[in-house]
Amino acid sequence: MGLKPVLTKDFGTEGLRQLDAYERTGGYAGYKKALSEIKPDDLVELVKKSGLRGRGGAGFPTGNKWSFLPKGMYPRYLVCNADESEPGCFKDRYLIEESPHQVLEGILIAAFAIGCNTAFIYIRGEYLPQYEALESAIEEATAAGYIGKNVLKSGFDVDVILHRGAGAYICGEETALLTSLEGYRGEPRLKPPFPAVKGLYGKPTVVNNVETVANLPHIVVNGADWFASMGTPTGKGTRVWCMSGHVNRPGNYELENGTPIRELIMEHGGGVWKNRRLKAFQPGGASMMVLLPEHLDVGLDFDAIQKAGSLAGAGAMVVMDETTCMVDAARRYVKFFHHESCGKCTPCREGTFWMSNLFDRFEFGEARPGDVDLLLDMGYNIDGRSFCPLGDASTWFPRSVIKYFRDEFEQHIAEKGCPFRKETEAAVAVA
Amino acid sequence: MASTVVTDQVTLTVNGQSVTVPKGTLILDAAKKIGIDIPIFCSHPKMAPVAVCRMCLVEVEKMPKLQPACAVYVADGMVVRTTTEQVQKYQKGVLEFLLINHPLDCPICDKGGECPLQDQTYQYGPGASRFDFEKAHFDKAVPLSDKIVLDRERCILCWRCTRFSEEISGERELALIQRGVHTIIGTFNDEPAQSNYQGNWTEICPVGALTSREYRFISRPWDLDRTASICPGCSMGCNIQVDARHNRIGRFQSRENLAVDDGWLCDFGRYSFPTFQRQGFEAPRVRQDGKLVEVSFEEAIAAAADGLAQARGAVAGWASPAATNEELFLFQRLFRQRLQSPHIDHRAFRPTWPDPDPDDMTLPIADLERCDYVVVLGGQEVIDAAPVLHLRLFKSERRGVKVLKIDAEQGARAREWVPADAQAVGILATVSHKKEATDLQAALGKKVKGSVRRLLVVRGPNGRGANDLGILPNFRPGYEGLNGQSGKGRAEWGKGGIGAAYIFEASPLHAFEATEDERRWLSGLKTLVMHRFRASPLDDLAHVIIPGRAFTEKAGTVTNMEGRVQRIGRAIDADAVPDDWMVLQAIARKLGAPWDYHESSDITADLLDLIPQYAAVDRGERVLWSERT
Amino acid sequence: MSIREVLEGPLYIVRALATTFKHNARPRVTIEYPERQKVVPPRHRGRHILHRYADGLEKCVGCELCAIACPVGCIVVEAAENTPERRVSPGERYAKRYEINLLRCIYCGMCEEACPYDAITMGPRYDLADDHPDKFIAVKEDLLEPLQASLGDTARPSAAPSAQAEPRKW
Repeated sequence: MGLKPVLTKDFGTEGLRQLDAYERTGGYAGYKKALSEIKPDDLVELVKKSGLRGRGGAGFPTGNKWSFLPKGMYPRYLVCNADESEPGCFKDRYLIEESPHQVLEGILIAAFAIGCNTAFIYIRGEYLPQYEALESAIEEATAAGYIGKNVLKSGFDVDVILHRGAGAYICGEETALLTSLEGYRGEPRLKPPFPAVKGLYGKPTVVNNVETVANLPHIVVNGADWFASMGTPTGKGTRVWCMSGHVNRPGNYELENGTPIRELIMEHGGGVWKNRRLKAFQPGGASMMVLLPEHLDVGLDFDAIQKAGSLAGAGAMVVMDETTCMVDAARRYVKFFHHESCGKCTPCREGTFWMSNLFDRFEFGEARPGDVDLLLDMGYNIDGRSFCPLGDASTWFPRSVIKYFRDEFEQHIAEKGCPFRKETEAAVAVA
Repeated sequence: MASTVVTDQVTLTVNGQSVTVPKGTLILDAAKKIGIDIPIFCSHPKMAPVAVCRMCLVEVEKMPKLQPACAVYVADGMVVRTTTEQVQKYQKGVLEFLLINHPLDCPICDKGGECPLQDQTYQYGPGASRFDFEKAHFDKAVPLSDKIVLDRERCILCWRCTRFSEEISGERELALIQRGVHTIIGTFNDEPAQSNYQGNWTEICPVGALTSREYRFISRPWDLDRTASICPGCSMGCNIQVDARHNRIGRFQSRENLAVDDGWLCDFGRYSFPTFQRQGFEAPRVRQDGKLVEVSFEEAIAAAADGLAQARGAVAGWASPAATNEELFLFQRLFRQRLQSPHIDHRAFRPTWPDPDPDDMTLPIADLERCDYVVVLGGQEVIDAAPVLHLRLFKSERRGVKVLKIDAEQGARAREWVPADAQAVGILATVSHKKEATDLQAALGKKVKGSVRRLLVVRGPNGRGANDLGILPNFRPGYEGLNGQSGKGRAEWGKGGIGAAYIFEASPLHAFEATEDERRWLSGLKTLVMHRFRASPLDDLAHVIIPGRAFTEKAGTVTNMEGRVQRIGRAIDADAVPDDWMVLQAIARKLGAPWDYHESSDITADLLDLIPQYAAVDRGERVLWSERT
Repeated sequence: MSIREVLEGPLYIVRALATTFKHNARPRVTIEYPERQKVVPPRHRGRHILHRYADGLEKCVGCELCAIACPVGCIVVEAAENTPERRVSPGERYAKRYEINLLRCIYCGMCEEACPYDAITMGPRYDLADDHPDKFIAVKEDLLEPLQASLGDTARPSAAPSAQAEPRKW
């Protein structure tokens, strides 16, 4: 347990973005090994055996996802989801920025494993330097013969297409991403059919997260057993945790799965800033439920966090100190979802609008008794009723905040405004 | 014991009732089959499910979340519950959501009274809203085109109109703009919509967001007198409902007939109704000393009978292809039996016309979907002649039928294009390109294994009936030849030998439309009787003008281009103006005919005696001339 | 007839006259109609009035809810659209034709109940006699309150869509 750099092992090496430096650290060895020694089907089995789970949020076993592709249906597409838009999440940016070739190698291995000749990378529009890094990596890899026809004389043809999004959070949802990639409005599609059956351009498609594919070269080189030896029984390997908020040392930390949250926040993060007490933290980005200091000993692992009442999501640890107004935190997140709702389904479109209005009422001291129950009721009518997880997720944080910090809501109502803001204002006045 | 028989049927339980439906049925339709109503907004039977409005969520056992009944297909042993506490609470919730940004201006909304949002809010919704913020505001009363007004506040974003534009008409004119709560419906760059099928948007819109400009504030739905009828626009024979108030036509609405219109209308037909609106009473007129003088109907009829009789058989008779079968039946009897004149016609002016025959309609409209290859000989010309055909063709195309639209002269291309192993080939053409169509049919008949059938688009809502009933110089009713006794067709009337003419112009949309030459010979006639609904350019040449009735003012039957005999009903009262068949009967009686019909249905009965095939009218079926094909 | 009855007879007459004279002294309940009109209670259901806003625009939008609520069907409404040149009511729609058959009306007040814009109320007028049935068809001009009298309401209700509603700013 603890820090365990696998993906980030060589980060900081001079010129790692360039192909030669990446190859000096052992880069593309996995790709070569896969092409020359392993059959695609065995590769799928290898990944299944390694127990790698998707790092995008849902934590679905990657090998299984690949094997859902219907047999004999070609062409197939691989789409690497680099549309990292979850507030608090910045690991994909880091991985691409530091070592674009590692991501690219992972994509190539995955493409080979599933028999895909055209892989797509859908990168968030705001990530311009990262886009450029990937673009030059693709150029270099093409020049080196890793991309193109008959790669390394293995008979495998592959092409990688890099596509920039246009700044919609919803396009991180896999079906919306595919719709956007096809050139339509970024809106989620009806499931079933799932992308594995009918995805991009109506063809079988696998959508994998950046971190997921970045793991593949290491699994191929070191074997499934090596990978499975790390982490917990249900969450193998390591994860890059993006820590932000009220900590002394925010940043990306690659930890073995199962490491206690306390270690991440207190040790690596240097504890809560300004010597304040920890009030709450959020282990999975904007959508996920809040956890309390009493949950600090929970291991960083999909199942353990779920058991504690939250979700690991995309691996974003947001830390909040004692001066944080939880109502305001929820309000900001709800505003984010209101802004990002695509408008396709009623509960999300109208519900986030209403919730955002209601939270404003709390913040500006106009809330009335009963508004908290109204929020909960709205949550009931949105969560699980929306078309895609965006709507569902918009209610998770506010509802968990109501669960743990209902008194703060009541305080907002009773004091006709935000008690924390008043404190701050008073402090400013004294100073 | 598990059944070992593999069937395409699945059995599921909805609210405790067991129902068996074919595989691939949606929960919604399965529930409907046993009379269980699940509220919907976005779902439409003719469009692919999208499940965006989330109104139809129901409980399905073994599924953790509520499932959209409009998008989930049934499975064997599925247990569905639509009335549990959870579902009812959610239904209230989603309706509350839908209404928070809906202006609730029902009192001034044209949809009020026939609005699914209203109805379902009453049935399933909450009594009051807990939303007490400012609603999101959008533009109201935006003219989307010269036919449609869009109210963006009322829109609940069900996507029906955009999906119609994409999946039904294929024009992709409407799109969603912006996102989230700011999403609106619009056209590209706010340019006026140009589709010829916009009226359908107003019909499928579940709220009052898309409304017709012609119908704007004309009436509340409960005030309307509704009459089943047939669209007078073209020979397609789309089923319509004439909605009138205070004896004024308010609108034409679609009355779904899957075999003909599939539930859609084109804007040409739908918005043709002002043409049929009577503008006050008009007295008959007779020319005395060069001037038209107002007279009574009796006098006008006497004058007409007189004038026609004096021409002693040299009378030309033109009946509009918009008149009912009953009128046409009397019309040809009046000419053939009473005036002893075979010179009757119903067609537009053209030097020569190909002879019609029953084979022109061997391809029923609905069968276009079941062809493998369809050749539209004449391309857009055919679509313009019967616009709703486009929707049927597009639907067929989406289902895998190959459609080739070419110019009428390019039959050779079609001959190459249709492969020899085609099972069913359809040819569509307008009647003016009958020769090209029959040539192609003959050529393909030799080439392909399967059947080759054609359907000719004729002119006028009853152009086919006019052919069937022998409003032709060379055919008696039922396509019986005249054994060399043929009369002169319209093209020959001007060449001399005609002393009088009777022009029966029932519809302004399918008028006589005289050419310059025709005007010249018409002006030289001793008697010209104009029996027409609306003022015609020929009025100033006429000696007798008898005002007639619009199709909305009479009852009868019309035959569409595929030979389907359908009834039209009287929607508007035109008491002072006698029914067109009565005028024809009165003229015939003046000339000694013993006719004594009291109702147009009496004529229908006589018509059936003459042409038994027309018994199809009572079954809403096509007239089959099987013994002749 | 007994003697007692004979003796009591005049007494009855005196009693009866006492009643008469007593009422003679009381205030009169009859009025000099039609020179003087009776003042009716505030909620009297007399002939209808169509109201205006303070700016003179009509309240009625021609929604016909009164017509459908009317148990005897004595109201006929036809609506039309306001244009910038001819604005009759604040919203999009106004009543082009508004007629009440006063002979058929039962003065039940259901129209008033149904009106979503408080455009129609039952008024104080009750002297409705006339000499021809046609004169009992009250048209819009008869029913509308005169322009200068429309001072009751100063503001339009929020239900009337305002031209430019400002979104709430936080």
